[in-house]
Amino acid sequence: MKTAVADTVERGPAVPRRRRFAPAGRASIVDRVALAIAGLMVLIALVGPLLAPHDPYSVNLGQALHAPSADHWFGTDANGRDIFSRVLYGARVSLLATVIVIAVATLIGTIVGTLAALGGRVADEVLMRICDIGLSLPAIILALGLAAALGPGLRSAVIALCLTWWPGYARLVRTLVRDVRDAEYVEAARTLGVSTPRLVFRHVLPNSLDTLYVQTTLDVSAVMLVISGLSFVGVGAQVPSAEWGAMIAGAAGNLTNGWWAVVFPGLAIMLTAVSFNLVGDWLRVRNDPTLRGRRS
Amino acid sequence: MARFLLRRLVTSVVVLFGLGVVTFLMSQVLPGDPARAAAGRNATAEQVAAVSARLGLDKPVWEQFPAYLGNLLHGDLGTSVFTQRPVLSDIGDALPSSLELVLAAMLINVAIAVPLGVYAAYRRGRAADVAARLIVLFGAGVPVFWLGLMLQLVFADRLGALPLTGQLGFGREVPSITGMTSVDALLSGDPAAFSDAVSHLVLPAVTLAAAFVAVVARTVRSSMISVLDSDYITLARATGASEWRVVIRHGLRNALVPVSTILGMQLGWMLGSTVLVESVFGRRGIGAYAVNAVLQNDLYAVIGTVLVIGVVFVLANIVVDVVQLWLNPRLRQPGGSRASAAPAAEPVEPGVVEGAAT
Repeated sequence: MKTAVADTVERGPAVPRRRRFAPAGRASIVDRVALAIAGLMVLIALVGPLLAPHDPYSVNLGQALHAPSADHWFGTDANGRDIFSRVLYGARVSLLATVIVIAVATLIGTIVGTLAALGGRVADEVLMRICDIGLSLPAIILALGLAAALGPGLRSAVIALCLTWWPGYARLVRTLVRDVRDAEYVEAARTLGVSTPRLVFRHVLPNSLDTLYVQTTLDVSAVMLVISGLSFVGVGAQVPSAEWGAMIAGAAGNLTNGWWAVVFPGLAIMLTAVSFNLVGDWLRVRNDPTLRGRRS
Repeated sequence: MARFLLRRLVTSVVVLFGLGVVTFLMSQVLPGDPARAAAGRNATAEQVAAVSARLGLDKPVWEQFPAYLGNLLHGDLGTSVFTQRPVLSDIGDALPSSLELVLAAMLINVAIAVPLGVYAAYRRGRAADVAARLIVLFGAGVPVFWLGLMLQLVFADRLGALPLTGQLGFGREVPSITGMTSVDALLSGDPAAFSDAVSHLVLPAVTLAAAFVAVVARTVRSSMISVLDSDYITLARATGASEWRVVIRHGLRNALVPVSTILGMQLGWMLGSTVLVESVFGRRGIGAYAVNAVLQNDLYAVIGTVLVIGVVFVLANIVVDVVQLWLNPRLRQPGGSRASAAPAAEPVEPGVVEGAAT
């Protein structure tokens, strides 16, 4: 009895929707900077092509491998393409691919996790063993194999990652739903005769999703790193593409005489990944009352 | 204890079977005709058909699958189109070099992450803790291959302190005993070659370790925090034990139980990440082999690599279970079920585990 009450207090509908997005009194300066950078990256993904000073694909061999200057802020690559413009364009490619992967993986994971949590013992056992198999391989290796099967290209990399990334979410959602399932207010709703689908969609899932969206924020960086990694080794976006990983792959051969072509796309990946990590970490601490006291 | 191990072994077998299913499905959808590949480029249509019949590729899928599993159990992973050698012996040649890299990276990982995590937990909330959090989150956000290139740029190209690529200096050779260059140099009693091999190993190992330090440091920190808050630590302090003894002997040893789980899983992930590191540093290994295989559309070689890395991952997890039995006395008691094992795994942060997949 006592634990059930404690559970409701801790994870139940304790945090009203309003407060979740209210200005955070406890956000440190680092968290704010991270939030600003993450927001900036999303903005660039939306309007970047409008800001780009040059055509990201126009080849100009006379301008090849120019160091950063007033005209080319980030320099030019071996084909004379403006790296600043390419980095701006790349934000859309990388973030869009990442968002698609996370959205699809979350959807599959939520369905599978909910079925496992509410569908009885056999369904639970079967679905979780399938998840075990998915989790038994490093995502990049499975994605490499699948992307190879589908033929190199960004689309294959995205599909492959969608297929490999969901078991983690399924595990998480299963745990969350099981926790909520036994909470008193769900019990109460069931006693009142609420139908099972309504119970799941109106009462169980919404209260499980707080933790899930924190996880998706944290996963932005992980997914983005795998996508750029796949592009780097040649199974994702192909070389002339203005995708950050592919840009690095194309420039790696000129590392010693054109470092800027490698450095700036990499910095873009790193800034995005780190800022989303920080934001996710901050959300996690904010969302979890048991952690709040630990970090000051 | 026996039940605990048995359950884990059964799970492992299920996972391995699943791996067989997944790779079989891959072989069904991968482009390219395996029979034509096996028969050689200049084979006639009849020869291809004969090979297809010999390999059982003309049979329906449900008859092919048991044969496929049977071949796997015999260690037959097919023949590489590119090298024209059995995939298993190709991988056998490449694996030691990757293991050398992974073990070196693991050493760096533990040497940095454990002290960092312990210190952050001990000084929690202070400047050192905040700094550790930043290091950790940055480490988790750096693209591995890019970090490798940056280290090459700074330490090899600009400073000239370490070699740019390869495994040994030009013209130097060591006899192949274990396949791990540095170990071979040591075994053949060639200290100059050993230091050469190690200097070639430093940058790739640091690159590979960087992404994993973050997860371990975080796990050590959160696990240490929950341990340091426990009653037996208070008791240890009350007996007048020195602070060092309290934190390291009583605290760290217990905090390492969840950490060992993470390290075991990381072994598999690191092997996966060699895909991104080996090609940057021009090293031989299973990662470079996998990338080449994918780019050359080498069906069986790709599948073979996926399988071998999966098997290594499962084996590493079994080893971790045994280590946990040794570290966690609660599991050793007769009748110790998974329920009693559960609290040990608790401090692992679910959020950060995923991040290491790259």
